[in-house]
Amino acid sequence: MGKSSILKSIKENKPTLISLPEIDVNSFEETINLVETFKKNVESVGGNIKELGQIQDLDLEIKNRYPNAKRIFSQISESVLGNVQISEQTKPKDLENLDLAILKGVFGVAENGAIWISDEQFSIRILPFITNDLVLILQKKDLCQHMHHAYKMIANRTRTFGLFISGPSKTADIEQCLVIGAQGAMSLTIFLI
Amino acid sequence: MMSHSKLAEIFNKDEAKVNWHDKALWYVREKRDTAAHHVKGWEYLRDLASGIKANVLSNLDNYLVEFEKNAQSNGIEVHWASNAEEHNKIVYKILTQNNATKVVKSKSMLTEECHLNPYLESKGIEVIDTDLGERIVQLAKEPPSHIVLPAIHKTKEEIDVLFQEHLGTKPSNGDPQYLTNEARKHLRDKFLNADVALTGVNFAIAETGGFVVCTNEGNADMGVHLSKVHIACMGIEKIIPREEHLGVFLRLLARSATGQPITTYSSHFNKPAPGNAIHIVIVDNGRTEQLSREDFRSSLSCIRCGACMNTCPIYRRSGGFSYNATIPGPIGSILSPGMDMKKHSSLPFASTLCGSCSNVCPVKINIHEQLYKWRQIITKEQKQPLIKKTILKITGMVLGRPKLYAVLGISVRWMLKYAPRFMVYSKLNAWGKSREFPKVENGNFDQWYKNRKNNG
Ligand code: SF4
Repeated sequence: MGKSSILKSIKENKPTLISLPEIDVNSFEETINLVETFKKNVESVGGNIKELGQIQDLDLEIKNRYPNAKRIFSQISESVLGNVQISEQTKPKDLENLDLAILKGVFGVAENGAIWISDEQFSIRILPFITNDLVLILQKKDLCQHMHHAYKMIANRTRTFGLFISGPSKTADIEQCLVIGAQGAMSLTIFLI
Repeated sequence: MMSHSKLAEIFNKDEAKVNWHDKALWYVREKRDTAAHHVKGWEYLRDLASGIKANVLSNLDNYLVEFEKNAQSNGIEVHWASNAEEHNKIVYKILTQNNATKVVKSKSMLTEECHLNPYLESKGIEVIDTDLGERIVQLAKEPPSHIVLPAIHKTKEEIDVLFQEHLGTKPSNGDPQYLTNEARKHLRDKFLNADVALTGVNFAIAETGGFVVCTNEGNADMGVHLSKVHIACMGIEKIIPREEHLGVFLRLLARSATGQPITTYSSHFNKPAPGNAIHIVIVDNGRTEQLSREDFRSSLSCIRCGACMNTCPIYRRSGGFSYNATIPGPIGSILSPGMDMKKHSSLPFASTLCGSCSNVCPVKINIHEQLYKWRQIITKEQKQPLIKKTILKITGMVLGRPKLYAVLGISVRWMLKYAPRFMVYSKLNAWGKSREFPKVENGNFDQWYKNRKNNG
């Protein structure tokens, strides 16, 4: 019987209780320029990042960067490029040929260029992975320094599915040569507003 | 059963490849150093990780029960398996309940350990490993040779030939971009047609009943979100108490593994998507026994970053297959004798006890000290001549190369004379007479030896 025998064996074999350390976040605080650090780290993980003066420029920028994208899903009201609808009837496989997804990022983490997104931003979980290219829109004010802050920011979320996404999918499994574009999105572009 | 040294000899037949392997891994190790140095409070982070894991092991039963309760209340089904056989049966049962014949699987050392693939294949199930490196070794009918870089032992030309044969690619002289792109197309097809997705678990959170899976390729998510059923397999030691602890572990994991600040995707699963199912299989398979061994217990804190392999002079020059174990390298040499001491008796000797592994380990496992402790146990239980022969071979094979002598500043004669004594009985400072062990922050092996030489 799996469960009871495993628990019994643990009880018999575990050491006496060792207390759980508290995380002293002060040890990690630095005065850094959040925007600059974030930008530098996004680039270091293979992402593109651009600051936009005004959100009105968004569609033009996207068209310049992804001129061949035809099937586009947009979750951003400021973008009119979206022409793919997602409803409750949409099956994950229906998005097989999606060229571009434009989504809102909830917040970014300066230390690693990661952005938190969850199923509240994309109604179908496969979306940010299956799309050929991914665009995330992020407010400059929504940046935090490191992961300890990040977990505080999502502590009270409704827990379903969410992820930190840092750059486009990549691999170095062939002789340690970095290749951007493995099984997920081939590119990630972040527009900072 | 071939010893580590015999298998290492085989790997060492191709010297150019060994040199490449050695350098490639050292390069990864250096990237790890750079990444670590960019984090304020890195050493404190390691202390925290070590402390959290120590607490976990001392309260593991309660955390597992808490995790199960919270996972279940989120609609996740939880299964328990005492050993590999039970694990495989549970997975197969879930597959049959869902009429599944096609499975896509992302990286999971646990399913390697349980030999899940051959088991499922014998039942007529197609299992496709979807991490590129794992797919490469799967096509080559080999196990992974490294826990993070499964195909590090293969040249791009070998992969080229392999893909021509299995994926119908054109000869490309091993162009990584082309080959990766072809693999992407091939795997796309597999993702779209899979019935069930299998993943490992990097961290399971007691407080929330959720779990996190980290990949760079996005292969775990591609599989999971295109399938109706997700099976996640985890060893009992993957539990962490609270979600905020992910802050500690995710900061350490990728930096220690590849020098990246975080993996591309860190996916947090808490609830199945509407209409879908998530199953978690919690597996013991010898872990509670390791928990009982006071000296070796902390090896269960391992977060599988691979840093101890990348830094190990023996691993780099003998290759993952020389360990003939699911987890190779320094940490594997502590875990494997716990599973089968006879079979893996040569592994704790496949080390110079230089301590570099312990210095880089993000959860501060005292790896080299545990290797030393296994040696004492094994030396007691096995015939001496065998042990001595093993050590001599390792020493001669891995360190016995003209170029390395220069670096090491020692002679073969010296090694042959003192090595057995040193390797079996030495404490850390045995290289000197009674000097302190040189303190090496994030110890650089070569530098350490260089210092040794200079200090006579
Ligand atoms: S023992 Fe430490 S360094 Fe080695 S793989 Fe595990 S966590 Fe990483």
